[in-house]
Amino acid sequence: MLTITKYTIKEMVKKRAFLLIAILTVGYLFIYGYGLSLAFHNNNQVVNNTPNIAKILLESQLLSAGLYFSNFIVAFLIVLTSVGAVSGDVESGAIYALLYKPLKRHEYVLGKFIGLSIIITVYSTLLFLSVIGLNIAFGTKVYLGLGNVFRALFFFDLGPVVLLSLVVASSSIMSTVNTGVLAVMTYGIAMIGGILEQMGSFFTDATSQGLSNVGIITSLILPTDVIFRKMNAELLTQNTGLSFLAQGPFGGTSQPSPAMFVYIAFYICFLLYYGTRKFEKRDL
Amino acid sequence: MILETQNLTKQFDGKGGFKDVNISIDSGMVFGFLGPNGAGKSTFVKTMVGLLYPTSGFAWIDGFPIGTIESKRQIGFLPENFKYHDWMTGKELMKFHAELCKMKNPYKKIEELFELVKLKGHENKKVKNYSKGMQQRIGLAIALLNDPKVIFLDEPTSALDPVGRIDVREIIKRLKDDGKTVFLNSHLLSEVEMVCDEVAIINHGHVIAEGKLENLLSKNTYVEMVISDYDSQLIEKISKLAYNVVFKDGKLTFKVKDKDSIPNIAKTIVDSGAKLYQLDSKTSSLEDLFINIVGKDEDVC
Repeated sequence: MLTITKYTIKEMVKKRAFLLIAILTVGYLFIYGYGLSLAFHNNNQVVNNTPNIAKILLESQLLSAGLYFSNFIVAFLIVLTSVGAVSGDVESGAIYALLYKPLKRHEYVLGKFIGLSIIITVYSTLLFLSVIGLNIAFGTKVYLGLGNVFRALFFFDLGPVVLLSLVVASSSIMSTVNTGVLAVMTYGIAMIGGILEQMGSFFTDATSQGLSNVGIITSLILPTDVIFRKMNAELLTQNTGLSFLAQGPFGGTSQPSPAMFVYIAFYICFLLYYGTRKFEKRDL
Repeated sequence: MILETQNLTKQFDGKGGFKDVNISIDSGMVFGFLGPNGAGKSTFVKTMVGLLYPTSGFAWIDGFPIGTIESKRQIGFLPENFKYHDWMTGKELMKFHAELCKMKNPYKKIEELFELVKLKGHENKKVKNYSKGMQQRIGLAIALLNDPKVIFLDEPTSALDPVGRIDVREIIKRLKDDGKTVFLNSHLLSEVEMVCDEVAIINHGHVIAEGKLENLLSKNTYVEMVISDYDSQLIEKISKLAYNVVFKDGKLTFKVKDKDSIPNIAKTIVDSGAKLYQLDSKTSSLEDLFINIVGKDEDVC
């Protein structure tokens, strides 16, 4: 399993796509940083040495937006690089020379998952810290405690691992194209469900409950969006209980229950178990 | 027996694949598995190496049931339609596969194999820059990495030029000399004839002929004799010892089921008082045998 993990990481690093992603990520961060510099310095209103609350909310909104799109980029990276994690080897015939060897099939699938998880987590962590770093560098007035940042980082990295478990399980059962379609559509459903759930906070009647239910159902299908909301809450809520949580599509006003995180742990384990089980029984 | 199957069957929704295959192969043999395209050859090999699960029946490699880790430790496999991880160099690819085989210090073995398959000097080239023939050679080297007891080669020369084919034949002979068992899946009959000790012919998923190559070929021995001073009783006697007996213009032609019948027939002629002037025997090639057997099977189907 360790050999598969090691060579999965090597493959990702050696592929040109990885270099391209690194360059485009720098481009994204540059544009984001430029946007922050304009937004932070053009509206420098301070009342009695106290930062304007509206400005803090705007800055928290910009921080949330930066993390939201970073999260989206990581998801996009997972889809592009991992849909063929197993199915690609099956379709090219490379799997034949691997699995006649004394290597258990579940070791192969889990080796791939762990290798990809390491790469994705490293990338996701760097991206998260870069966004936070840019906000701090440009003098955000949003309080970003070290504890908040680390707790948020955990959830920021957890989302991609959840998506990756779906992609790897699917890639062990279905073709690369079908896995790609499934991953994109499921991620899209989770994203739109999450946005609708946040919109629900603008309403007070049955509409709010209805929109909230949509969010819960889509979170059960793929809990990436709900994990992002939790990440946002951990980042922007202070120990005092004061919260700079932004409302709107990037915000986290609607929070997942602890039961949801039990479900997420079960979700990852079940998908990996189901994917490996199916792959073990599969004719190659 | 290093390899044995009992009613081994693999079918896809009741169709295709192969059915009730019973073969036994002794250690140190080169076994040819022949058949037209779609006969079930590759399906059989993939089942033996644990890539496909049998629908029914049993098979063992060196006493271990197929598909188990123990049986996988005994085998090497060169697949037919393969593509290796082409982002690696040849050396990296070999090292990767050596690690999968849990080899502790594979570098000497890797070097030996590069030499054996004549890829010395190309170790640090990326596999994606290898020609198809070179990829087949490195595939063969990978199949031999763990010093397996049984090597399954599925169309090992399909992408090779004539020199490459000779090289592979030499490697197969060398493996046999080293006591290895080679299971050669091929439809290149001349090649099989040159290296195999035993063959099985499969068509429509059924083994329709199996045995030592020389025995199978001698069943198709064609004999031509020039005789005189014979009588009808002699022709009758010969008809009992041979088949397809034709007498025309002083020439007697017939087929025998094995070569050992020829001296008996010659003795019968001489004992009868007839004069035997000439005797030619010609054993048909594997190609003739294959066409004959598969052709008959097609007629039955």
